[in-house]
Amino acid sequence: MKTYLALIAIDLKLATRLRAVLFFQYIFPLIIFFVFALAFRAQRDPNQMTTVLTMSISLGVLGNGLFGAGMRTLQEREMNILRRYKVTPITPVPLLVASMVTGWVIFLPYIILVISLAHFLYHMPWPTRLGSLVVFISIGLIAFRAIGLVIASVANTMQEGTILVQLFYFPMLFLSGATVPAEIFPRMLQIVSNFIPATYLVFGMRGIMLRKESLFHDWKWLGALLITAAVGLTVGTKLFRWEKEEKIRKSAKLWIVAVLLPFVLLGAYQAYTGQNVIKPGIFGR
Amino acid sequence: MNSDAIIAVQGLRKSYADVEAVRGIDFEVHAGEAFGILGPNGAGKTTTVEILEGLRPRSGGDARVLGFDPERQKQQLKDRIGVCLQATNLPAKIRAQEAIDLFGTFYSRSISSEKLLKRLQLWEKRNAFYETLSGGQKQRLAIALALVNDPQLLFLDEPTTGLDPQIRLEIHGLIEELKAEKRTVVLTTHYIEEAERLCNRVAIMDEGKIVAMGSPRELQQKSQEQSRIQIICAQPLIASQLPQWPDAVQATVDGDGRSLTVYSTRPARTLFEIMRWLDQQGLQLEDVHLKRPTLEDVFVELTGKKLRE
Repeated sequence: MKTYLALIAIDLKLATRLRAVLFFQYIFPLIIFFVFALAFRAQRDPNQMTTVLTMSISLGVLGNGLFGAGMRTLQEREMNILRRYKVTPITPVPLLVASMVTGWVIFLPYIILVISLAHFLYHMPWPTRLGSLVVFISIGLIAFRAIGLVIASVANTMQEGTILVQLFYFPMLFLSGATVPAEIFPRMLQIVSNFIPATYLVFGMRGIMLRKESLFHDWKWLGALLITAAVGLTVGTKLFRWEKEEKIRKSAKLWIVAVLLPFVLLGAYQAYTGQNVIKPGIFGR
Repeated sequence: MNSDAIIAVQGLRKSYADVEAVRGIDFEVHAGEAFGILGPNGAGKTTTVEILEGLRPRSGGDARVLGFDPERQKQQLKDRIGVCLQATNLPAKIRAQEAIDLFGTFYSRSISSEKLLKRLQLWEKRNAFYETLSGGQKQRLAIALALVNDPQLLFLDEPTTGLDPQIRLEIHGLIEELKAEKRTVVLTTHYIEEAERLCNRVAIMDEGKIVAMGSPRELQQKSQEQSRIQIICAQPLIASQLPQWPDAVQATVDGDGRSLTVYSTRPARTLFEIMRWLDQQGLQLEDVHLKRPTLEDVFVELTGKKLRE
């Protein structure tokens, strides 16, 4: 346990010493928050603020998950930092658990900050199910950090990792409702959205905030995020590499599909039953 | 395996695809010994120690380190050894003391960071970020991390490569202290003077094989290279009047005639005879130099290569 606590403590200290962490975890999402609030005229309609809040938090989760966990692991491998840990008796598990916990602890104040800003500056009522909301976001964050971790595990170089992360980041950014309201998408694009993990995060949050749904309202979504988190952590541990010289075979990239499988199945199920994740929000009304 | 052998290696092999990096080597390292593995880049020395440290699986043969199999009992082994790898880093914004405290939590036993920092002359730098430390300070911190679990067996993989001569001497001093504490040290290097100065025994590796093993002195004595004796006299010598000294292979008079150079296979005996001859001739001696073959000469003789090739 002392190893876990020491790694979490040092990870938190290191995060607070890096300006990039401060910028990408707080300042950049806050800029997006205010820009969206302006664009959606949230000052006039508190309900619009809910959409803005969902978008802003989703962007934070995606950035923290895909770039935070994945790219940092890759960077530490490339810089021979992980090689130094390799000669000690620790396994990858404490390193990965510490990374997960640190990412969550760093993100938590941002959630509280934007909800408070939405309430005090834009008169959005406090979310009725605040506990469910925080738990749902936390599970989402861990799931996306797990995806980031698997991407880092299967990428052989920083360059390859950057390309892979962006291949996931941009579709999730634009096709999930995190930046462009998914309600305005044509039907075909909405079906595509049903296969994108971030869509479940965005609409799960909206359901809790707008329709006061419980955490277990749609257990399939929560289940998919939890399975992704569990599979991602397991695969990330199994494929963990300490040294840049340890190259992974190309076929190992298929593990990304394994991690995303719950959402592939969920998307297929939604398409088969004719259901749609994209519930009418403010724009659908 | 001898009862006091800390490391026992038999027929150790390691292949990477078609390349055989280590080709069936055997050696033992005994308690309290400083054992050097010497060889040029690509000789297989780093692969060998990384197998012994539990970092790489072997392709064949047997290895025991502190009684553990490095492949099957790697966690137990890593808990007991100290390792200073070449080319490692720490996060840029970690402080020196934080790094030692953190690494201390990875082991079942650890020494206090304060004690280690003071010992390695890093106490003044305890709050400095890793990125601000000089090359020598970073290397001393790497050695501190290798000592954090108070290991009896230390692997130092090219600990002075890339450091300037002054810092190399500092690190040599540190390694000598570790030897004085009766710790067993396995040192890989391609610096001859490092092996000669620090190691009780040396294994010379080339192309995955051990081509010679013994104490630096034994290896030098085994060499076919001759020692060079240089004598400076107060009066000039006449080359044609020089006698045939025992075991001397060649004798030449250089420069202004006062400098005599003699190559010998048994330099002690030849030198004694030269001194006697000078005394008989009434010649006054000003200076004497004796240069034995170095490990570098031994290496070139055995492999036909230079160590830093």
